Amino acid sequence: MSAILEIVHVTRRFAGLVAVNDVSFALNEGEILGVIGPNGAGKTTLVGLISGTLPPSSGDIVFKGRSVTSLPAFRRARLGIGRTFQIMRPFPGLSVLDNVAVGALFGYGRGTSDLEEARQKARRNLEFVGLSRFADHLADELGGPGRKRLELAKALAMEPKLLLCDEVMAGLNHVEIDEVIGIIRKVRDLGITILVIEHVIKAIKSLSDRLLVIHHGEKIADGIPDAVLSDKTVVEAYLGKRQA
Amino acid sequence: MNSAIRIAIALLAVVVLAALPWFGSDVIVQFGISTLLLAVLAQGWNIIGGYTGYPSFGNSTFFGLGAYGVAVAMVQWNMPFWVGMVFGAAMAVCFAILLGLPVLRLKGHYFAIATLALAQVVAAIVSNIPLFGQNIGLVLPPLNNDAMFYELSLALLLMATLTVWWLTRSRFGFGLIAIRENEEGAAVMGVNTTLYKVMAFALSGLFSSLAGGIQAYWITFLDPASAFDISLNVKMIIMAVFGGPGTVLGPIVGAVVLSAVSEVLSSEVTNAAGLFFGIVVVAAVVLMPRGLADIVHHFRKSGWRYFVQNIRAHRI
Repeated sequence: MSAILEIVHVTRRFAGLVAVNDVSFALNEGEILGVIGPNGAGKTTLVGLISGTLPPSSGDIVFKGRSVTSLPAFRRARLGIGRTFQIMRPFPGLSVLDNVAVGALFGYGRGTSDLEEARQKARRNLEFVGLSRFADHLADELGGPGRKRLELAKALAMEPKLLLCDEVMAGLNHVEIDEVIGIIRKVRDLGITILVIEHVIKAIKSLSDRLLVIHHGEKIADGIPDAVLSDKTVVEAYLGKRQA
Repeated sequence: MNSAIRIAIALLAVVVLAALPWFGSDVIVQFGISTLLLAVLAQGWNIIGGYTGYPSFGNSTFFGLGAYGVAVAMVQWNMPFWVGMVFGAAMAVCFAILLGLPVLRLKGHYFAIATLALAQVVAAIVSNIPLFGQNIGLVLPPLNNDAMFYELSLALLLMATLTVWWLTRSRFGFGLIAIRENEEGAAVMGVNTTLYKVMAFALSGLFSSLAGGIQAYWITFLDPASAFDISLNVKMIIMAVFGGPGTVLGPIVGAVVLSAVSEVLSSEVTNAAGLFFGIVVVAAVVLMPRGLADIVHHFRKSGWRYFVQNIRAHRI
């Protein structure tokens, strides 16, 4: 297995606060890596650093053997990095179908320039995430769970090689979580490498090949889910010292 | 309505409009020229304001640069009109690219204020350049051919409208809409937001400057106060927003309706015309904040309740 993404000693400071502190890890091709950590641990910052919406203060981000640290977000998207947002960012005034079509018009390798082709691709992506019947609704009209799926469909329409999922299960009930897990597994079967950030430990444990734990911006554990979740520092980070 | 009928209606409308100078009176043709030029300005603003979501107050500057392009070429250099049009358009596009790069980093009100300030600065600079006639202004050679000015304005409006129509079905247009709806979301999907915004600003500037060029030759006099009139920028925004920003025909409908209202008011009630015009605009903003185009879409569904819903949304 070769590494598709390497994070090399990456640090990000916000005016005195160190959100991500000297984190290094690699993501192998075809793998699902789960990233967990308490609130404010720096998980979403990490996604921002990889997708290019935030520049790192120091360190290097290597995608498919090439440093992308200085590239803006749109260039990384064209290289094949797709992401979803925890606080969903649909295009509210566009139809659900056209929201996804934007991904097909841009995205990996600049996508297609043909609007009809992009819409057809968008229809397939909507079917993939189970949103077909809302295709002609405005994105604004979707509820929370629908918007989470829309985020996934938009990112998938970009034909990414690496998909960063920022809390796509937060706020969903058990049935909905199982459905999203099913979708993410199907995405992996397409050959897409996935980084999932999640709060719901049970869900992420069954989904991930490997787990990474971040606490106060630092990596405190990295390994197979069972081992990581029984690790003493990890339990302390989540439950406090006395219980551990 | 299928697309063949739509195209037929559009073609018919263009033919009827183009034939107007042959059956309309002089007054009608003159009203037509000023309305068509305002429609071009509203349509130009629509590209940066309506589709890209950047409320520009710099479009009257493009208009002024276009007007000065024609005036300087014809008066100072004795060049033909079309050379002036090209010169004015080139100045406007350069201005849009050079100043768009820093200014388009700002959003919302900040962008509006920055472009407003730029407009004042350009007016001040121009009024100190001898080539541009300083504060005295420039007098152009008169050409008594309103029919030609009318057809020229109509052709320009047609070009601007076809460009906007192309936006609604092209990758470039979808990129602009994505920027308007959510700029960060657009960037992570692969939209080169900086390039697209500057291109939209330049395209908007191109049409505004060409309208300015025609206006200068038609009116035959130009000074900084009339060329860089900020109320013209306010007018084009009101027209685009009244008709429906981010739609293909909205700005044209807005320009025609508001020009007609303003014309009727100023001939019927002269003194209080400005007041009545203000009332019309306020009523429009309260009752139909998304413009006439939105009414067409929603009136069938909600009926009169549409207006009540809008008033409620304002919490008045």
